[in-house]
Amino acid sequence: MQRASRLKRELILLTTEPPPGITCWQNESRADDLRAQILGGEGTPYEKGIFNLEVTVPERYPFEPPKICFLTPIYHPNIDSAGRICLDVLKLPPKGAWRPSLNISTLLTSIQLLMTEPNPDDPLMADISSEYKYNKPLFLRNAKEWTEKYASQQKSASETLSEEVNQTEASTPKKSAISQKRKGSDTSIREKKSRLDS
Amino acid sequence: MVYAQIAAEARGLSHGSSDLFPISAIDRTDEFQVGGGDEITKEMNTYFPVFLTTILFYSFINMESSDSNDKGNIDQSEAQRRSQLDRLDREEAFYQFVNNLSDEEYRLMRDNNLLGTPGEITEEELLRRLHQIKEGPPQQNSDENRGAESTEDVSNGDSIIDWLNSVRQTGNTTRSGQRGNQSWRAVSRTNPNSGDFRFSLEINVNRNNGNTNSETENEPSVEPSNGEDLENSQSDSETPRSESPSGGQTASERNTSEELAAEEAPSHRGQRRARSRSPEQRRTRARTDRSRSPINPVSEAPRRSHHNTSSQTFDHSLVNEAEGSSRTRQHVTLRQHSTGTEMPSENAALFSTPEARPVPQAAGSSETNASGESAAPGQRPPTIVLDLQVRRVRPGEYRQRDSIANRTRSRSQTPNNTVTYESERGGFRRTFSRSERAGVRTYVSTIRIPIRRILNTGFSETTSVAIQTMLRQIMTGFGELSYFMYSDSDADPSGPAPNQSGDAAEPPSGGGTGGGSSNSEGTDASSGEVYEGSNEGGSTSGARREGRNTRGSVTFEESGSLPFLSLAQFFLLNEDDDDQPRGLTKEQIDNLTMRNFGESDALKTCSVCITEYTEGNKLRKLPCSHEYHVHCIDRWLSENSTCPICRRAVLASGNRESVV
Repeated sequence: MQRASRLKRELILLTTEPPPGITCWQNESRADDLRAQILGGEGTPYEKGIFNLEVTVPERYPFEPPKICFLTPIYHPNIDSAGRICLDVLKLPPKGAWRPSLNISTLLTSIQLLMTEPNPDDPLMADISSEYKYNKPLFLRNAKEWTEKYASQQKSASETLSEEVNQTEASTPKKSAISQKRKGSDTSIREKKSRLDS
Repeated sequence: MVYAQIAAEARGLSHGSSDLFPISAIDRTDEFQVGGGDEITKEMNTYFPVFLTTILFYSFINMESSDSNDKGNIDQSEAQRRSQLDRLDREEAFYQFVNNLSDEEYRLMRDNNLLGTPGEITEEELLRRLHQIKEGPPQQNSDENRGAESTEDVSNGDSIIDWLNSVRQTGNTTRSGQRGNQSWRAVSRTNPNSGDFRFSLEINVNRNNGNTNSETENEPSVEPSNGEDLENSQSDSETPRSESPSGGQTASERNTSEELAAEEAPSHRGQRRARSRSPEQRRTRARTDRSRSPINPVSEAPRRSHHNTSSQTFDHSLVNEAEGSSRTRQHVTLRQHSTGTEMPSENAALFSTPEARPVPQAAGSSETNASGESAAPGQRPPTIVLDLQVRRVRPGEYRQRDSIANRTRSRSQTPNNTVTYESERGGFRRTFSRSERAGVRTYVSTIRIPIRRILNTGFSETTSVAIQTMLRQIMTGFGELSYFMYSDSDADPSGPAPNQSGDAAEPPSGGGTGGGSSNSEGTDASSGEVYEGSNEGGSTSGARREGRNTRGSVTFEESGSLPFLSLAQFFLLNEDDDDQPRGLTKEQIDNLTMRNFGESDALKTCSVCITEYTEGNKLRKLPCSHEYHVHCIDRWLSENSTCPICRRAVLASGNRESVV
């Protein structure tokens, strides 16, 4: 498996040119365990939220997709309470759309996109999904609430408490600040989306 | 519906069998020509002896443990960093090595699975393998090589899975290895038409008893691809020799002389011999599954207790009932050979034990038996064969098969002694059968597991309980099998026999077969392999194998000695590809164009490894004109059929191109 050399390159890329609104770093210098943060996109109920994710790179990477899940609770039709994400690029073909030409950076970008545009037709959380479909205001309110409760920057910065945020690294605020500056425009995201969808 | 059918088969050879049945030797030779010849093709449709089961168990566990290790190791980041660096170096070396290979060499290495895992194999090792493979016929080489690699396999469960997956796509493969005095050989075949996959693993224990080449093994139990298990076992017994040797293997080749640690107390022996068997065994009752299933719950309890007692007695080496029975047993055996009659009944008793009993128990019994066995005069190297078959069964068919099964069972009077036992519990259908012919006794244990069930209950986690259950079932089955073997030769069905009456016993009508085997009687049961270990949490397991021979027993080192596979993963993966094949075959991959990267080319990067091409790199160009390193894309294509960049189907577009 090309894992080691490929991961090394990917990490270099991730640190030098991270996608907008996304940071990713090695967790305690373990090669196969990465942490990532995604900033909630503007105009979404997740705005101003900082969402932590865990990226586990399997032995067979890149022939197998990395496992990515949310550490920060998020109210989303396609993300369950354990943080698991329902996204095709995270799964192997034929069911999924993972392929070795994708990488951690593109995956995180698609997750970011999924946050912006949930897919209620392929729900992981049925109730949230129907709420999203039929009672959007309620969904938005709930999602915002969760974002404030679990993912708000102030909280994770000021308080070390709350189990949910425990996972957040001490370095979080700084990094997120940096990445916030880079926060990408919607257009760049769109571009990426169309590429991924193709 | 997808069903996995796993059959474990253990065979013991009689001492003189090779003399009597020279044919078997021939079979063996044929067998080695894996990949070529009609015989083999035929086999694909019929039968596959496989070791898988055992191995599967192991890898599963291994993966788990490595996981936990990973988690526990956080502190040792320094050491880890160093090992990562080492790994990186090795990966680089690996790529260099691969790039320097000629096409032919590359293909040779790849097809023989010698490339291993980048980052894990040192360049020197690769070089050594290359030389070896070039020097000799692949088969022999792979024997040695595998031996070396098996260690690696242990540390990396994925590689076998990879192999297994590639094998599923590509057809026939053989892999073998040796370790200590055991040698193993795995053969797999895929039936391209039906998608059925069979994998067989065979373990041989070599002994230096001087009977080295005497045995000829392989009694291939022939399995009609559509056939029912029972049928198979029967047909087995009916036409054992003539059948193509599916997984069979040449024990004789493997028999190098090795000393076994003497473990057993020979003293038991004499006692064992004395008694003659009562006619109880005469019961010829073929029962259908249906009739029997209601009884199962009831009969189970006694059976279990029986096991307990027997194992205990042996453990404490108390000589009593059990012993006595064993003696009688032998007597019976002898008789059987001459008359061909009594045997089965006894076996029936043995077989009746299949309900899953706690694995540990199985282990215990085997041990005890083993001790008993030391006494046995038999000299043939024991061979254990596991047979894994994965095949798709449509719901309708399955039902039909069931009925066939019942029928076959009820008319069990084949000329050879075949005893079968079948039970169904919790959706696992198990079949045990024993057949004897000319001194070769064959035990077949089959477990059918509806994969759907597994997937439904525990899809998300490979470690799910369902899979563990499945594994446990399989392993238990195997343990039982070995138990049967042991007990068949010298253990004790006497007490419990009455309970077992329900089991089908067959009148051995074919007296003719008995002729050759009379002297070999003591020898039929060979070695057993027992897996003990709790699957709970997938924590630990121990494998033990006792070779029973004059006074030696071989103890398997735990997982280290065997290749292992992750059953769970395999099945999950298998489930994925429902009807359409996922990957390309080697031939299909080789048909894709390949070229060397030259300086003049525009700078490009392989998107699989994100590495820039360098001079001399071998690239493969897909029909969509995307290019990758050969070793990168080959691996992907062995499991998938689309271009990693554009996701176009490699095959379909390839055809189009060829048309154009």
